[in-house]
Amino acid sequence: MPGGALSRPPPAMAGRLHQLRKRLFSNWFDGIVTLLAGAALVSIVVNLVDWAFLNAVWSEADVSQCREVSGACWSVIDARGRLVLFGLYPFDQHWRSTLACLIIVITMILSCLPALWGIKRLSALWIAGFGTFVVLMYGGIFGLSVVTTEQWGGLSLTVFIFAGVFVLGMPMAVGLALARRSKLPVIHWLAAIFIDTVRSLPLLTILFAAAVVVPFVVPQWAQGDKLGRVVVAFAIFYAAYQAEIIRAGIQSIPSGQEEAAQALGMNYRSVVLDIILPQAFRNTLPSTINQVVITFKETSIVTIIGFFDVTASASAAVGRGEWGAYYIEIYVFVALIYFVFVFGLSRYGAYLERRTRLHHG
Amino acid sequence: MSFSRSLGLCTKKDAAWIAESSKPKEEVIMIRSTTKTLTAAAIAACLALPASAADPGPTITQIQERGSLLCTSHNGSYLGFAEVDDQGKWSGFDIEMCKALATAILGDPEALQLIPVSWAQRFPALQSGDIDVIIKVTGWTMSRDTDLGLQYSRPYFIGPTNILVRSDLGATSPEDLEGGVFCINAGTSIERIVADYMGARGISYEALNFEKAEELRAALYAGRCDALAGFGPFLAATRFNAPDPEGFTILDAVLALEPEGIAAREGDDGFIDVINWMMSALLMAEENGITQANVDEIRANPPSASVERLLGASPGVGERLGLSDDWAYTMIKAVGNYGEIYDRTVGENSVYKLPRGKNHLWSNGGLLYSLVLD
Repeated sequence: MPGGALSRPPPAMAGRLHQLRKRLFSNWFDGIVTLLAGAALVSIVVNLVDWAFLNAVWSEADVSQCREVSGACWSVIDARGRLVLFGLYPFDQHWRSTLACLIIVITMILSCLPALWGIKRLSALWIAGFGTFVVLMYGGIFGLSVVTTEQWGGLSLTVFIFAGVFVLGMPMAVGLALARRSKLPVIHWLAAIFIDTVRSLPLLTILFAAAVVVPFVVPQWAQGDKLGRVVVAFAIFYAAYQAEIIRAGIQSIPSGQEEAAQALGMNYRSVVLDIILPQAFRNTLPSTINQVVITFKETSIVTIIGFFDVTASASAAVGRGEWGAYYIEIYVFVALIYFVFVFGLSRYGAYLERRTRLHHG
Repeated sequence: MSFSRSLGLCTKKDAAWIAESSKPKEEVIMIRSTTKTLTAAAIAACLALPASAADPGPTITQIQERGSLLCTSHNGSYLGFAEVDDQGKWSGFDIEMCKALATAILGDPEALQLIPVSWAQRFPALQSGDIDVIIKVTGWTMSRDTDLGLQYSRPYFIGPTNILVRSDLGATSPEDLEGGVFCINAGTSIERIVADYMGARGISYEALNFEKAEELRAALYAGRCDALAGFGPFLAATRFNAPDPEGFTILDAVLALEPEGIAAREGDDGFIDVINWMMSALLMAEENGITQANVDEIRANPPSASVERLLGASPGVGERLGLSDDWAYTMIKAVGNYGEIYDRTVGENSVYKLPRGKNHLWSNGGLLYSLVLD
């Protein structure tokens, strides 16, 4: 340490206040920028609070006041919020939709717990989760009335589509990524052509084909339910993108690891499951979370093929004479729903990154 | 599959249907050459037999076997025509027509499955059999009628293009809007309609185009334009949602008309017959003052022979369509006459207060009339 004994750090000055001053007002230009930005921020917050809380009307009974006040008319949420959350699901059966939605969300949360990670456990969990969801939503047994998938809607439909796409798409993606890395040329090329073809088609086209074109070209017994077809098609689309993310992860692992594992006599299954995939997933966690978040938001596209997801039921909620003027309130409500889910997903991604970093090296 | 049945009970309608279903869109995979041979055989067999009066055609048979009508609703809401109430139940003009048709065929307005479809999806959904019929403010255009293989009923709604103006301008006709600013939905046929109408009358105007309905409305409310041109029901909803609804007026002038029909698959004449007579019965009920409330009374003391037949008090109205004789009575009892449906959903008893205009009976200055029931 050359000269280290004599030079001490300068004395700390007034802690946080000093830091702020140094960062925000270090010269006159910074000062002006800080003041302007601060004023803009304050005025936005004040206006927002004013609109959303102070001048707002809250209950459906007071809807007549909405035209007079300058603030938000939350009466529309009071009156139409249930429609946004449940879509066309029969009104007296909403408890089933609520329960089904909770079950999927709980299944999602459970499968996020490291204790349940394992192919068998996760499969059992998701089969149980989806099974309960479908029984609750569709009914037909245990004295539950039948509710066909055309009547499913709102949040539980959005969550169901998202979960279905993720759960079907992820294994498919792993399979495709491994296939594309295969040393057999046929498998390698087939996987490559499949991925590139699916990626070059717009999601809308794929979903439209699954919902509308399939009935023309596939015999009736093989058609299945429209919702099922759409989830599978969406999953294929997701898998094509996710497969490339995983492949990037696999390629980031030095090939020496795989060779060493083979030299130790580990079989292919063990090399993939114990050495390659865990590292590939960890290395690509940010982009995987990115893709998952995008997929969650893209579920709203199913409205174009007649499904009543949250965005479609939101547009139904404002599409009635007396509520047409309050679309901003409904959009804010829907934005909050998406925010809760997407923010939750992002935070979970951040947690996973911290967790895997701890175990690293 | 209508195949074996048709061979047993043949009409010309069936022959047409079979010819239609040999196209690849039919849901059951068949070997094409066999199909063609069988089709030819079926047509030959059918032509040899006299048409059976009671056979209602494949769509109605299918609806009756299923016990419900598959009708269109919307992926969201379409103001006044297909909208959802707080409890997730459909209402609106198109939905009422679906109910009327379900009642006519099955005797029960609840024997109905409303399938949400988007605008783009409605035609393929009809062809693939996801729905039986399109009742979705669908204009009767030549390309749809021919290229898309649809068959239209008589128009059930005459869609006018109107102008909504700020009342304080004092305008009563488009001529008064000389030099004014029009808000117009960009990229729609409204743009052309306004240009044609104003051009033909030599009225100059300035157009302000917007993509979205919300933007159009906001611009009008904020006073950025003097007038808004568009589909009548949309204008009525725009006026209703204005901060000051009295501040806006819909002018009487009609810039253009679009006849909205009920569309079914080509070649099922029996089904189109039922739809046309359903419409006609709703209008005839209005012409004769038969309402949901007094239909029982009038059925007991019919004022004329045709009303007696319409309400099934004397036979004839059902059998010839392959329906029950009291179908019209049950239908009017369930949904009311045409005027009642109109007033309840888009007219004076609704929030939109859309004037009847061209959708009035001919005797009240409109374009609607019933067919002759003999």
